[in-house]
Amino acid sequence: MRVNETPGNVRMIGGEMLLWSDADAATDWRGVGLELAGRLLPASGRVLLAGPHAAGLVAAVADRAGHAAVLVRSHPDACALAGRHPSLTVHCGRLRALTEEEPYDLVLALDGLGRTHSAEEPAPSWQESFEALARLVPPGGRLVLAVPNDLGVDRFVEARPPDRQGADGDWEPRGFDPTHPCGPAALDAALAAAGLVTEGRYAAYPGRDAPRALLASELLAQELPEALTVPLAARGGDTMLVADPLRLTRLAFRHGLGEHLAPLWVAVATRPAAGLPAEPLAGLLPAGLVEVGRVVHEVTATTTRRLPDGSPRPIPRGRVLEEVLVEACAREDVRSIRHLLARLADWVEDGGDAPADNLVWDGERFAAVTPLPAPTGPVAARVVLCRILWRFAVRLLAAGHHHPWPWPQAADELALTLCGMAGRPCGEDDLDQARKLDAELGEPAGPATAPAYRDLLAAHDRLSDRLTATLARVARLETKLSYRERELVRARAKLRRTQRKAAALRSSLGHRLSRRLARPRKAARRMLRLLSG
Amino acid sequence: MDESNHWYGHSRILGTYCGLPDDTPRRIQGFVQHGWNYLHGFPPNDHWCSPGYPRFIWSDVLRRRGWSMGRRGHYLIGAPWIYLLDMEPDLGRIPEAERRGTIWYPFHGWEKGAVDGDHFRLAAEIREVETGPVTVCLYWLEFGDPDIRRAYESAGFRVVCHGDRGSRWDGRGRDFLRRQLTELRRHRRVASNRLGSALFYGASVGCDVAVYGDPMQFEGERPEYGGTARRMRLWPELHGVRVDPGLAAEAARRELGFDHQATPEELLRMFGWKRVRCA
Repeated sequence: MRVNETPGNVRMIGGEMLLWSDADAATDWRGVGLELAGRLLPASGRVLLAGPHAAGLVAAVADRAGHAAVLVRSHPDACALAGRHPSLTVHCGRLRALTEEEPYDLVLALDGLGRTHSAEEPAPSWQESFEALARLVPPGGRLVLAVPNDLGVDRFVEARPPDRQGADGDWEPRGFDPTHPCGPAALDAALAAAGLVTEGRYAAYPGRDAPRALLASELLAQELPEALTVPLAARGGDTMLVADPLRLTRLAFRHGLGEHLAPLWVAVATRPAAGLPAEPLAGLLPAGLVEVGRVVHEVTATTTRRLPDGSPRPIPRGRVLEEVLVEACAREDVRSIRHLLARLADWVEDGGDAPADNLVWDGERFAAVTPLPAPTGPVAARVVLCRILWRFAVRLLAAGHHHPWPWPQAADELALTLCGMAGRPCGEDDLDQARKLDAELGEPAGPATAPAYRDLLAAHDRLSDRLTATLARVARLETKLSYRERELVRARAKLRRTQRKAAALRSSLGHRLSRRLARPRKAARRMLRLLSG
Repeated sequence: MDESNHWYGHSRILGTYCGLPDDTPRRIQGFVQHGWNYLHGFPPNDHWCSPGYPRFIWSDVLRRRGWSMGRRGHYLIGAPWIYLLDMEPDLGRIPEAERRGTIWYPFHGWEKGAVDGDHFRLAAEIREVETGPVTVCLYWLEFGDPDIRRAYESAGFRVVCHGDRGSRWDGRGRDFLRRQLTELRRHRRVASNRLGSALFYGASVGCDVAVYGDPMQFEGERPEYGGTARRMRLWPELHGVRVDPGLAAEAARRELGFDHQATPEELLRMFGWKRVRCA
């Protein structure tokens, strides 16, 4: 770790952190981040990645840009990057110490500004960091900046928001910076104040740590089909949740708050050059990018196109089946559930396959939101249906929704009941196969591993109900027991009294006399019995 | 809590500041940073600083850096030196015009590790740079080594030592900082081959500052500090034969935590010297 072991392409600009790494903390941009950056990279020119970036993004920029530079505060990260990409210029230190003579054609700050200062300086406000960043963009240059939203929908679902964790990176407490943009308009104003013109603004979903979708503000102004918004909900992962992210995100979109409640905003802005027409961007910036697995799709309000060379196909409309079923369960409307499950079974028998949380129902037909990879071998339609219903059962119970089936019914049992309701009775063997199939397809059945806070509350309520009941039972048994004990004591006392009375009676003169008198008569009777034989 | 709380008479100074007698200093419930440092106020292997007890440190940058390295429980009180200055505004003070010469603090080792370097060469370099009389102040270990003393004495320098850093149970370190303050107030310049407490102490009492000469190697120097190159990057303005006195005073102010001076009552409570009686 000695400084003299620093590779030659690392420039120490001051404020570097020796015992620190952001390599695992940087925003995990994959397909959509690469796609957006790729569309903006100048054919030749200078590109700066300010702050820590995902390894894939750094590699892509280093490969494609004429001159690429990164700015990281961590010395070990800087050395690792410089070693991996010898052509890269690595500035190691804090953002405000980077005073280049030559500015950049494109500055990418896709990790935001939160990791561009260092412990060596009093932490700058967002505004101060932003001004330092904006200074690196010359007239005609372009800036892509990510800004986390303090009121992002991911904040609502996290039970332990990271800004209250007091982790090693939070030597300056988070969430108290008044200059941090509150809303898209404030972000635009900050860009304008720095002399930058906003060309595009995106909302990134599902979370600030690993964005997998970018939706332009123009797109978000329209009503979007649920098939598009469903995949934008944050998966729980191993975080503790307050509420079901799927439902909350869907509500946010339905209320038209998709942009205001986005976990992260990404702005693309240019500093206009005097006299020079800005490089045209129209057509270059996508309306939306959504990543499914490793494939990036470019989306509009009605169509989706697989990149790089797919053709547009319409996005199915309708409500998510899981929600339709949850509603019916809440209403205890068993008839609708039966009907819907029978239709689902028909669809599965016609070759359809998608879990209820990945399926839309427009009242007449089903459509998968994101098509699933085909299973490796032939699978019976019965098993496919069983898997869909088992998965729904797991999620329904885990989320603590109300349902009409008597409570202590495990997911397995409920799944078999649902199969029966669909008119396709299944056995234990089918269920085992269905579970295997689910594991094979890889998507975990739901928040079973990381319970949401609401689930915990529900479990807590259930337990306290049981406890109340149990205590009542104990109290009742206690009363019974003491009553019985009293009875016993009384009975024993009575018995003892009777015994004592009997003994007294036996020792009385009358008793003894009568016994004596009875003896010859007894002997005569025995003799008679013997003789009559 | 720890022996280092009592070095250089720190606990006595803080006790006096709080109005306590200084014959036997009380135990401080926590760890007082005992020297200027550019890590987190403590050595890298600070496992002896038990979590749960506060770390009384000098400046905010140490808190931030310590936090980033997983340390918690920092409490900023500034250096004991600022409490001494608060109590002794005039100790050893002479008219400004009479302050003469340079006091030079060669980088020192300690009881468990020596410094490796050529003191004769350093003495020659000092002779070349300094124009006035030079006082060389050695750490007690090096002061006890006749070879090292001779290196400086033969160059015509006055060689002094502020004494042993002492402990809680003996009074030897009691007047360490007072002696240092008196010496610094007599000299016009303070210099060393590495940035250190003495330099900032000097700057805080109006000495001009200089850092030059072979920084010497410390046996088993820890890589966590980042070496001389890092010091040069962090404080380029403080290195050299002539240093801007304004910048030096500002740095001293920051590094010694003059803005973080606590009140006696606060220290009494924080050090566990005043118990709250709970019903």
